Amino acid sequence: MTDQWVSFSRFGDAQLVSLTGEIDLANAGEIGKTIVDRLNDGGKVLIDLTTVSFLDSAGVRLLDALVGDLLMHGTRTRLVVGERGAARMTLQLCAFREDVLTTDLERAAAELK
Amino acid sequence: MSDSGGPDVTQELRLPWDDDPDDLYEHAPCGYLTTLPDGTIVKVNQTFLVWTGYTRAELVGHRRFRDLLGSGGQIYHETHYAPLLRMQDEVHEMAFEVVCADNTTLPTLVNSVLSRGPAKEPRAIRTTVFNATERRSYENELLHARRRAEESERRVQVLQEIVADLAAAPTEAEVAEAVVRAPEPAFGAASSSIYLVDVERDLIVAVSSTDPTTGNWDDMPRSSPRAVARVADRGDLHVVGSVAEAREHFPDLVDNMRKSGRNTVVLLPLTTGGSDERVGTETLGVLAFSFTGERKLGDNELRVVRLLGQQAGQALDRARLYDDARRREERTTFLGETTRTLDELHRLLPRARRLVDRVVPEIADWALLQLSIGGGIHEESGGPAPDLGLLEPAEQRAIRASVPVFPAAGDPLGCVVLPLTARGRVLGTLSMRMAPDRRGAAAERAFLIDLADRAGMALENARLYEQERETARTLQRSLLAADLPSGDSRFAVETHYQAAGQDLEVGGDWFDAFMINKDRLAIAVGDVVGRGIDAATTMGQLRSAIRALAGDGVGPARLLEALDRFVDRVETARMATVAYAEVDLVTGELVYACAGHLPPLFQAPVGIPEFLLQARSAPLGSRAGDLRRTEQRQPLPAGSRLLLYTDGLIERRTRPIDKGFEVLAREFARRRDAPLPGLTAALADLLVGRDHADDVCLLCLSLGSEERIERSLGADRMQIAQLRSELRGWLVAHGIEADCRDAVLLACSEAVANAIEHGYRDDPFGMIDVVGTVTADAVEVRVTDRGTWRGAVTDVARGRGLQLIRESMDQVLFDRTDGTTVIMRRSRGDL
Repeated sequence: MTDQWVSFSRFGDAQLVSLTGEIDLANAGEIGKTIVDRLNDGGKVLIDLTTVSFLDSAGVRLLDALVGDLLMHGTRTRLVVGERGAARMTLQLCAFREDVLTTDLERAAAELK
Repeated sequence: MSDSGGPDVTQELRLPWDDDPDDLYEHAPCGYLTTLPDGTIVKVNQTFLVWTGYTRAELVGHRRFRDLLGSGGQIYHETHYAPLLRMQDEVHEMAFEVVCADNTTLPTLVNSVLSRGPAKEPRAIRTTVFNATERRSYENELLHARRRAEESERRVQVLQEIVADLAAAPTEAEVAEAVVRAPEPAFGAASSSIYLVDVERDLIVAVSSTDPTTGNWDDMPRSSPRAVARVADRGDLHVVGSVAEAREHFPDLVDNMRKSGRNTVVLLPLTTGGSDERVGTETLGVLAFSFTGERKLGDNELRVVRLLGQQAGQALDRARLYDDARRREERTTFLGETTRTLDELHRLLPRARRLVDRVVPEIADWALLQLSIGGGIHEESGGPAPDLGLLEPAEQRAIRASVPVFPAAGDPLGCVVLPLTARGRVLGTLSMRMAPDRRGAAAERAFLIDLADRAGMALENARLYEQERETARTLQRSLLAADLPSGDSRFAVETHYQAAGQDLEVGGDWFDAFMINKDRLAIAVGDVVGRGIDAATTMGQLRSAIRALAGDGVGPARLLEALDRFVDRVETARMATVAYAEVDLVTGELVYACAGHLPPLFQAPVGIPEFLLQARSAPLGSRAGDLRRTEQRQPLPAGSRLLLYTDGLIERRTRPIDKGFEVLAREFARRRDAPLPGLTAALADLLVGRDHADDVCLLCLSLGSEERIERSLGADRMQIAQLRSELRGWLVAHGIEADCRDAVLLACSEAVANAIEHGYRDDPFGMIDVVGTVTADAVEVRVTDRGTWRGAVTDVARGRGLQLIRESMDQVLFDRTDGTTVIMRRSRGDL
């Protein structure tokens, strides 16, 4: 069960994946599977990490694979991570692609227009 | 003279003397005229000539009868007399005024007969003329009398209406309005004005007039030589018949009479008594009315005028009494209300403000309250303020002599200054400027003195309340401020006391923390029944009792039993509630008990907070409750927090109590990572806000702030979160900044993940040791496994983990002497 960390909804015409809580080695794999099962190909995907309180390298690995996979299938995507916080710190420390990071949902949606 | 058609009866009655028919004709007691059908006089007797002064030659053949009439008579002759005569051949008792030779008129009654010839043609008119002078004047008299009666009736009717109006007029002003309207319809006056006597101020004041352009409108002293004042003084009606008379008696009237074209002025005093009882009558006002043209007033009219004066006087008297009664009632109500509303506020400053707000605008348009108590109070309302240069000496005078200062009429100060006294002491002054009609009167003075008495007492009570409250606060503060243990790194205590909202006395809430021995900490929060100094004192006693009774091997249950015995001797402490706990700082074990107190809230390093609901019993010394004191043990892992609090934190009128518990638990959990300093104040702020009606007392104990944290965990990725949680609590307890904390947590997490994924890749039962230490300037974490190390470069993913460790820490060392130890160090400041 990954419901406590991940939920799905829509934001405008984009699919919205909201992650919350601590994402680490223990749950990253399962969360990744849940997301891949739910997302459709094509269109737009927003992944909201603003309420993620911890993100480790396993979490980064998950996001890295996920974003790479989506882009390869022509799905445009953005990660919403807020200005500060644990997720932002981890992504920055491992030099995650800045071009897919945004600070809030509205802006992310606008960038995908 | 045989004109008569009838038989000559006189022939049968021969008189004893010989009466000459010619003489009878000439000197008959009536005038005779014979005229032609066109009216030309052909024959006239002597009697007519004598009455009218004409000569026979002037009339006969020269004049027609109608020529002898005035113009009105001539018209009447043509329209009535002549047609009637032609139709009926005779007319009777027609009234004509005959114009005499000297142009005077003679009232007459005329009878005429028309005689006709054989062919019925008119031949002559025979007319008798009776002198009606006497009869006419009688008629006139009748007419006059009727007119007089009618006038009198009209006057009476007007007066009746006025009297009815007067009876219905409840106030002096309305009576005056009704009276001033009377003279015009009743007597045909051109205008009238009314003046009222103000005995208190010794003045006569003009209040109303139907024509304000006439007359002098200045107030006048009652001793003034002016006509109105003189008449008021004498209390008797005075008629000034002409300007000349005015010049002689009341020269002040002359100008106005000339200017407004008045020739007669009636000055009517409005008196309380009847006309015959002079003694004891009081003049309440003067009604002045005037006529254009000299107007004589008949006896009848004067009687009615006097009657009007009495009626109006009585109505004024009644209205005055009524006014007085109503004002007294208003004043009494005002005083009662003032006392009541002041009592609603206990504290000095709000009470002072309310007094000023009561006074303005209800009875004054400006008020200033100056008190020397409570650090000096200055409350002002309304305006404009009077001259301070005048006010200050008046205030000094009022304070020195302790008597009110009432300004005389015309005093530029224009306001009353009341000293406020209580228990023989002058607290300050209340100065007010009242509306003009409200100042000076004796009744008003009594009212103001009453007001000052009540205000003084109310303010003194507020001052005493304030004093007691301050004493209680000081006492409470000094008791709560007693030294709490600090400087022991194994725990930290944070407390918060928040007094109840402004207008309430101090409560009996308290907290305490002390060391029973070097490794045993006691904490307590309690609540004494009641408020004020008594509650504060009792709280102090109970607090000391707990400190005295606690000891090695006593424990919470026995301590509560001892307190039950204590309250048997200190009755004010009965029914106090206490939450008491002891913590073994070596084993991390908590023992607690609650005597009627709300359950402590426990927050473990992981998971949601829980209320400790065991070991509950009745309040101290309870007679009906369960006094079997028990205690409960509970482990307190490092990083735990324990919150003790009083009911003021939970209970709010707008929120059910279970909701209060829920909110407290949620907010406490939300602040799990927040630094301890300020935590209790923030909770009180959030849960209670400003509108708190009760004191609030909180004590938060934080455990596990040891220098060093040591944990061992299995090679199970599911345990990493638990480790992070404990580590986070430990870092928070040491006040590590969020950025540094997140970085250490990330690095440590990665190091443990490394150990699981590499060191123990083939050993699911391997153990990992984590040791954290904190110094003044850095945090150091060691993660040790005893597995095999193969070098991270073979795995891209793990390579990222190592990269993260290096990026987030200042120094990273790998020691592979026995398994692998990762030593990570980060400065507490920014990277």
